[in-house]
Amino acid sequence: MSEEGGNVAASTFARQVINKLPDIESKMLEGNAVELIIPRERIREVVTMFDASFEDAFPESMFGVDLGEGNFQLIYIFWSRTSQVLCQLRVSLVEPDLVVDTVSDIFSGLEWHERETNEMFGIDFTGHPDMRLLLLPDELKGRYPLRKSFETDRSRLAEDGISKPKPRPKPQPTEGGGEQ
Amino acid sequence: MKPDITDETSVIWFGPQHVSAHGWAAKLTLVGDYVVECDPNAGYFHRSAEKCLEFKNFRQGALIMERLCMLEAFLAEYPYVTAVEKIAGIEVPERARLMRTIMMEVSRIHSLQFWWGQFAAELGLFTMLLWPWIDREFFLNAFEELSGSRHAVSYNTPGGVKYDFTDKFLHRLDLAIERLEDHMPKFKDMILRSPTFKMRTEDIGTYTTEQGLKWGLSGPNIKGCGVPMDLRKDAPDPNLAYDLADWEVPVTESPRHGTGTSDAYDRMVQRFKEVETSVDIIRQLLPQVPEGPMIDPKARGKANRLPEGEAYGRIEGTRGVSTLWLKTFEKAQTPWRAKIRGPCFSSYYSLKHLVPGSRFADFIVIFGSLDPYPGWWDR
Repeated sequence: MSEEGGNVAASTFARQVINKLPDIESKMLEGNAVELIIPRERIREVVTMFDASFEDAFPESMFGVDLGEGNFQLIYIFWSRTSQVLCQLRVSLVEPDLVVDTVSDIFSGLEWHERETNEMFGIDFTGHPDMRLLLLPDELKGRYPLRKSFETDRSRLAEDGISKPKPRPKPQPTEGGGEQ
Repeated sequence: MKPDITDETSVIWFGPQHVSAHGWAAKLTLVGDYVVECDPNAGYFHRSAEKCLEFKNFRQGALIMERLCMLEAFLAEYPYVTAVEKIAGIEVPERARLMRTIMMEVSRIHSLQFWWGQFAAELGLFTMLLWPWIDREFFLNAFEELSGSRHAVSYNTPGGVKYDFTDKFLHRLDLAIERLEDHMPKFKDMILRSPTFKMRTEDIGTYTTEQGLKWGLSGPNIKGCGVPMDLRKDAPDPNLAYDLADWEVPVTESPRHGTGTSDAYDRMVQRFKEVETSVDIIRQLLPQVPEGPMIDPKARGKANRLPEGEAYGRIEGTRGVSTLWLKTFEKAQTPWRAKIRGPCFSSYYSLKHLVPGSRFADFIVIFGSLDPYPGWWDR
């Protein structure tokens, strides 16, 4: 349980990473959890270290965040049951240089997460085996719907031509309608 | 006419019109009747739930979440609710803690009952489809008494729950559980000892724990390998009352392969054990529900505008780890970013690795044994 072990396991892992790669910052989170802020060149090294440190490393989630004005973040979340460690990795990217190395060969479960992040945010993953659209229809290719700049609702329907909002037909006066 | 047909490959689309493929399609490349390549396709069901959440306030968001998986509606909405509670600093009354936990386990039971029937029907065993689904009706009747709705109950809300337990509801719930307990031995006999079922599922869709974890499988798909990976025990949520019940994480150790491997048959055994555990937890928690308020009266105001923060809500769903990562900015009325992790996103992806090498007729067995639900991967 996290109460008994304190932050030992998570902080130990963070220390190991920082000893090896001093340009990484760490931040302890609530419970036995740690956040590592990583320059994007280092992401493969850190993910490999997590995989090597915990035998039941589990890729829980991976996604992008649009912070506005061309700033993006990638968050990777890993979990180890036996050590009860939750590890959150954060990579910052600035437009137009939205490229990062893939980790789908280390954790194949993240292959589709990266594919989704690519179609939703326009972030490229170098070395990814299959970068087709996953969830979106072809009309939305290259439009990146989860970016804040993406117009939604009626304007969105109008601009991508999925279904144009039609003006309602005006009610026609029926013949002799007024004489009832 | 060519003498050897195995040189030629043929491509078959399984779905999206197939009866078993409700909202998904997989492109299978066959040599003879062996699958050599499987390309699962997603997106037929995509409703952009993450973008929708960015336009809904923090009490409305849970309603979108439960529509991702109607079968486990109580569980599906919870990661969002708990993430909001963490950022807003809302405390949940003791009564609501227990009521939430009970209803989540009820939700788990009826979701698994649905799956027993669905999986058996995919193999052509229709008795197993109809009998558990009759029992499932009794749970839905209880939900109807609780809230007026049979599926999208929208029970959890930041700060507590929306509907109180009434005597009539408790009576209906008791009736449903008693009926299920009466029938469990019959169901188990009917399916687990069925020669047809054994022939179709034993040694089909086999993977090891290491493979499963790398693909991101969780829940009964990993517990079926004999690994007690269960967030209810490993990372208990402070607003849920699993600590008040005495229970063990159910695991299945295969008599055929030993620990560390699971096939479709093991996963069926595992999902029977899950239901037994849930019944056990409900039976222990029901008498412990204290008197008191079922919702924090200040929660509504606190959930109107949230402070800046990030929170990660996690729960052990019926199908595995479902989580929600939430980011808000100061005085936020809506989330800045909400990322949903559906457990089936990973299990659907894993077909790509699991299916090649098996026969075409076994494809649906492998798919069904992972308990996939399209709403979870398409979102």
